[in-house]
Amino acid sequence: MAQTSSGKFPIIPAEKHGNAEAVPAPPPQNKTPFILVVTRNGHMAEPVMEYAINVADRLKYAILAVHANTLPFFRDGGERSRLFATAMQESSTLFRHKAGAKDVQVEHIGETGKIGKIVKRLCHTEKRIEFVIIDQGIRMEEVTSQAPVPVFSVIYTRPKAGRMTKNTHYNPINGGETSMSTTSKKRHVKNCFVFGGLTAGLYAAVFTNPEIIMTYLAKGGLYALVPVAVVLAVSYVHGNFTNSFWSALGIEGSKVTAPKRVDIRQDTTDSLGIRKDTRPRAEVRV
Amino acid sequence: MHGPINEVIQFIDLSAYAIVFLFLVGFVGGLVSGFIGSGGAFVLTPAMMSLGVPGTVAVASNMCHKFPKALVGAIKRYKYGQVDIKLGLIMGAFAEIGVQVGVMLQKHILDTWGQAGSNLYVSFIFVLVLVIVGSIVMRDAVTTKKSGGNTSGAPLAKRIQKIELWPMLTFKTANLRISMWFLVPVALATGMLAATIAVGGFIGVPGLMYIIGATSIIASATELVIAFVMGLGGTLVWAYYGMVDIPLVLIILGGSLFGVQLGAIGTTYVKEYMIKYVMGTIMLIVAVSRFFAIPKYLNELQITALAADNVAVMTQISFAVMCFALLTGATIILVSLFRARSLERAVA
Repeated sequence: MAQTSSGKFPIIPAEKHGNAEAVPAPPPQNKTPFILVVTRNGHMAEPVMEYAINVADRLKYAILAVHANTLPFFRDGGERSRLFATAMQESSTLFRHKAGAKDVQVEHIGETGKIGKIVKRLCHTEKRIEFVIIDQGIRMEEVTSQAPVPVFSVIYTRPKAGRMTKNTHYNPINGGETSMSTTSKKRHVKNCFVFGGLTAGLYAAVFTNPEIIMTYLAKGGLYALVPVAVVLAVSYVHGNFTNSFWSALGIEGSKVTAPKRVDIRQDTTDSLGIRKDTRPRAEVRV
Repeated sequence: MHGPINEVIQFIDLSAYAIVFLFLVGFVGGLVSGFIGSGGAFVLTPAMMSLGVPGTVAVASNMCHKFPKALVGAIKRYKYGQVDIKLGLIMGAFAEIGVQVGVMLQKHILDTWGQAGSNLYVSFIFVLVLVIVGSIVMRDAVTTKKSGGNTSGAPLAKRIQKIELWPMLTFKTANLRISMWFLVPVALATGMLAATIAVGGFIGVPGLMYIIGATSIIASATELVIAFVMGLGGTLVWAYYGMVDIPLVLIILGGSLFGVQLGAIGTTYVKEYMIKYVMGTIMLIVAVSRFFAIPKYLNELQITALAADNVAVMTQISFAVMCFALLTGATIILVSLFRARSLERAVA
């Protein structure tokens, strides 16, 4: 059967299900209920797709698949966003293909920003979202705190999709040289030049205009704020310059006494080690 | 110090030698400051004056350079989790009051005994404080090192913390709870000393360690916040009278911001007692330096009648010893920093 891409009514092939009464009645309103399926990866995991399609098929709902780019400002010249978009295209094609086999209507959208906010916003649009399914890599608490409908996650034993693999072993980026900050040496050198230039500029401005400076500074009174402001401005740029200078040279605080950094991805669920029933399952958390 | 300025203030022309000299002095001062929380500034005033800067301009410019340096140092050490902001700000406020009191006291002495009397008073306080407090700190450093580097906390401070006098204040980062009535005198003394010899931290940091009970790392880091508050307040007053020489300040800042970052980094590598060691060393050597400066003022007040040549030599020795004190402190800091760092990297 042809799949409508924008139809408002679910397709109920009564012949397929035999007794017409056993089929759940179409929703009273004109609106199709949707299942919101959210992933933060470029490729949505196939078990998630399949589970969503199965449920949507049984309940006669449609699917709204959202690929959320949670790092839209990632500083790599847009490379990540481009890869994300490409992966999303592939994933959408696959999803549509699978859904088409079961006559489930699926729509795709790409979003950027925080998952919780995206879910909250989408649930309040004109579409009627009945519940949410989240892919691995999304924090359950973040979504449940923002979603007005139930949220399910799918546990499957396949390796995680997308680029979000967790490093289980220490991988020195700088060839064994540990660095405390997450910024790379290149970033520090760049900052060095940027702030060094700004500092040099400010110093030059002050020293090449001694007459102006003297008249302002020796005035006293309210002009007292001028030296303070100048000094604070210089401290800001020069402070950053000296900071990046030492960091670029690799002279940074001790790792041993460094306060523990909170690992943001603490809550990602790892794949289960024990071999269990591998059919996709929903996990209800209210 | 707060009276009307009658004479024309000449902001000096800076030669290349002077620029390099001030930059280096700034660097060393910043290094020491970043590490022990204070103490870099006091050598700058004599250094500037030796270049021909008028006394009041030297003091004003010193203050103007102190607060941004303390700010940068405090921010850096805050990132290492060593600064207790609440403690710093509360004490900073009272220290500022102490500065005003100290200034009034200075003025009174100046009026009563003139410039030489004022200088004598300053040097006398210098020697007294530095010898007494310096010895306490040094002895503590030695005993802590001997006992394997474990700081059990000052017993006096523990007793004081137990005294319940409303209002009781709790400080999370410094990890202590103490009555405000014990914070105030330490802060006031810090401010008064800052107004007198330009270094409040020589009472502030030991006060924080031994009376209030903070660790040496937290005490020296929090002192930077106090120094910032005092420096900012003082600078606003000086700038109001138009006494701040910005180019001078910028040159010193050029060096000191490098140094203060390095000093702050150093504190993450060394054991607690090292801070006490450096502090005690500097204080004791500077005490010797000031001791040599006293004859000059005694002569001026005609209390003694030493040969002029001898006095001149002693004054030179005084300055040299002061520089030596700072250089020693800086060397200890740099050596410990790089030694601990290479150790850490060898193990990693």
